[in-house]
Amino acid sequence: MKKKTLAILLTAAMMTSSVGCSSGNDMSAADGDRVTESAEEDQSSEGGASTATDTADTKEEVTAYVGTSIFDGSLDPVKGAMSYGYPFINNALLKVAPNSEYVGDLATDWTISEDALTYTFTLREGVTFSDGSDFTAEDVVFTYETVRDHQANNENVDLTCLDSVTALDAYTVEFRLKECHSPFFDTVAMLQIVPGDSYDSDLFDTAPIGTGAWKVLQYDTNQQIILEANEDYFGKAPGIKRITLVYMDSSAAFAAAQSGQLDIVMVGAGYAKETVPGMKLEAFETMDVRNISLPVIAEQTKTDASGAEVTVGNNVTSDLAVREALSIGINRQEIIDHAFNGVGVPAVNFTDHLVWASTEDYPDGRRDEAEKLLEDAGWTDEDGDGIREKDGQRCAFDIYAPGGDEDRYRLAVALGEDAANLGIEITVKTATWDEVVSLQNTAGFVWGWGQYSPTVLNSLFKSELFLTGGYDNPVGYRNDAVDEKIEEALSSNNQKDAIAAWKEVQKIADAEYPYLYLVNIEHCYFVNEDLDLSPNTQIPHPHGHGSPIICNMSDWSWK
Amino acid sequence: MYKSGMSALRVNRRMLVAAVMVLAFVYLLVIFLWGAFMDPFQYAVQYENKFLPPGKDHLFGTDFMGRDMFYRCIKGLSNSLVIGVLASAVSSVLALILGIASATFGGRVDKLINWCVDLCMGLPHLVLLILISFMMGRGTKGVTIAVALTHWPSLTRMVRAEVMQVRSSQYVQAAYRMGKSRFQVALTHMVPHVLPAYLIGLVLLFPHAIMHEASVTFLGFGLPAEMPAIGVILSEAMNHIATGKWWLAVFPGMMLLIAVVLFDVIGDHLKKLWNPGSGNE
Repeated sequence: MKKKTLAILLTAAMMTSSVGCSSGNDMSAADGDRVTESAEEDQSSEGGASTATDTADTKEEVTAYVGTSIFDGSLDPVKGAMSYGYPFINNALLKVAPNSEYVGDLATDWTISEDALTYTFTLREGVTFSDGSDFTAEDVVFTYETVRDHQANNENVDLTCLDSVTALDAYTVEFRLKECHSPFFDTVAMLQIVPGDSYDSDLFDTAPIGTGAWKVLQYDTNQQIILEANEDYFGKAPGIKRITLVYMDSSAAFAAAQSGQLDIVMVGAGYAKETVPGMKLEAFETMDVRNISLPVIAEQTKTDASGAEVTVGNNVTSDLAVREALSIGINRQEIIDHAFNGVGVPAVNFTDHLVWASTEDYPDGRRDEAEKLLEDAGWTDEDGDGIREKDGQRCAFDIYAPGGDEDRYRLAVALGEDAANLGIEITVKTATWDEVVSLQNTAGFVWGWGQYSPTVLNSLFKSELFLTGGYDNPVGYRNDAVDEKIEEALSSNNQKDAIAAWKEVQKIADAEYPYLYLVNIEHCYFVNEDLDLSPNTQIPHPHGHGSPIICNMSDWSWK
Repeated sequence: MYKSGMSALRVNRRMLVAAVMVLAFVYLLVIFLWGAFMDPFQYAVQYENKFLPPGKDHLFGTDFMGRDMFYRCIKGLSNSLVIGVLASAVSSVLALILGIASATFGGRVDKLINWCVDLCMGLPHLVLLILISFMMGRGTKGVTIAVALTHWPSLTRMVRAEVMQVRSSQYVQAAYRMGKSRFQVALTHMVPHVLPAYLIGLVLLFPHAIMHEASVTFLGFGLPAEMPAIGVILSEAMNHIATGKWWLAVFPGMMLLIAVVLFDVIGDHLKKLWNPGSGNE
């Protein structure tokens, strides 16, 4: 009996002591977890080869989930990789600075001829590719000619306007265009240079050789991409030596973040109210706006590009009063609060982060004014159901959101709730991108636009693009003055005139409210509290479902 | 004394079986009607009530738009029932026609129909569903057609086997000799014979149809997001499980499970009552 009591006492004592120990060293225990984990990862990634990473300093690498769009296609610039403005393996001649202006990257200087047909770039000297070969004008010529000759492989970088590209000397390259096309400048910033001597179409899909700050150490399709700092990079050497980008399901990624396996995890705005131990929520500004196209023509039958008879237009949204009332009468901040937990900036046009964007902002939430507009136009609620009518036509229309994009669906629903206050009934539905091609001409659709190139304005407003089979000009907009200004912008020989013309385009077109701008979205991430993402050198994120956070990977550091 | 005791027991058991069946049927009917005539306001968006856990105001809690999950579930289940009924009806008529044709005509027709049955059963069911739904443009139309067109093979086999049994019996042979056409024989002698087994098969098709509708929708090839349906609700819930909103998945899942089990109960009990072997137990 005595023995038994002693045993129990001893056990109890041991238990309490061990509990005391672990609670006292909570922090170090957590750190210890990280050590073993990263060590394990190393071993598995390098086939069990004993890479004894310095366990003393665990803050060497970063594991991040930044969405899956990087895994979607090839990494080869020739096939359009990373053309949205945040390349990390290869460099283009130009790049975007945090203030959204273009600055030289592989080019140091450039001139545009008076007739806007010749662009001459002076290249940076002393740059080497990660395989040790020198970067010269020949590589630029090779890259541009390859893309132009295989344009079908590259849907992001359009070089159809390029006539010839010549190396004047080792560090000067001259482009000649077939016709004036001022957005060629944007194109130059999109296309990154590959080495002419060692280019291999298959190899470059997963491990391109480039001049950038990073090189691919390992590429596992739809699993992970392990990046290693390029020691020979001509710019500032990356502070973190290795970054692993993982491929996951977004909810799995959030769960992995909660268990401390990730240093960065991209989340939708719906998660903004959550908390993750050891991580802080960071929201980054984007240039990505969400707007809703509202058909500007009344319902009618037209012939599309393929010769088929199609029904286009909408009898409610074709009334300017309805479109204007929506634009000035809704409360964008409230819509953002409801749909995105308040993450995002209200927008009435393209974001000011774009140099060419309209700056003519106006206050919204003017419900009285909006109601007066509707009433003056003959929209009144006669049957008392809360929705206005005019000559038997209910003030109601459909808005489609792309299926599978919960954020855009939520946004449309929140808009519908808000519009009901004005007596306008919006029914939200979802559709596939294939269905949208025909639906976009008769109903509203939630679009996302986020790119540096102003050619988006051409797509939105150019009258001849209506019914051409793609997603251009879905509202049937037609205004000769706008068409003229677009031509003027495209044929300009300097950025300043082009920008002025693009602003004119928006000034005229926005007065007719063909698109209902709602929000300039923000990308949300949970980030390890000890990781500094250098927010000052982040560019305003272009479209990219969360991946643009990698734009300044070389500036990241552990605190 | 002994004899009457037996008969009392017999009546009790038959009544019990019938009662369970009726209860199950009434439950499903109530859900269907409740959902069909529900005011959409009941499950409307109410942003001030986002993510409320289950409580007395919201029995099943609310979702990310503050929609009441209880009413959404009922409406969704009701939608699923409609699709289930529609799909089972089409599938079973197909099965009846094909099964009887296969057995009565025999020869090439039999071979062809059997080949079709084997073909459809050889493909993974879900893959076939997704293919057809995708081809038909997804949405309500796509998923209904897909579910309707893929549930006939097993029932066809059953009907065929039943008819084969009757085919060689004397009264059928006699009917032929008296100059009745194959169609007449099929209609007057075969259909009545296979009807009980067929009806049971039909009821047992429902749960399959409903489950498949929910799975295809869950995978994103079925009903659109704006339509309350169990598959839609469950796939939305997936986004919030990691953040601990368990009620978004648990209750709708349970409602679906209960509905499916009840159909099974009805089918099984029908079998007990109608099957000559067990009907008099």
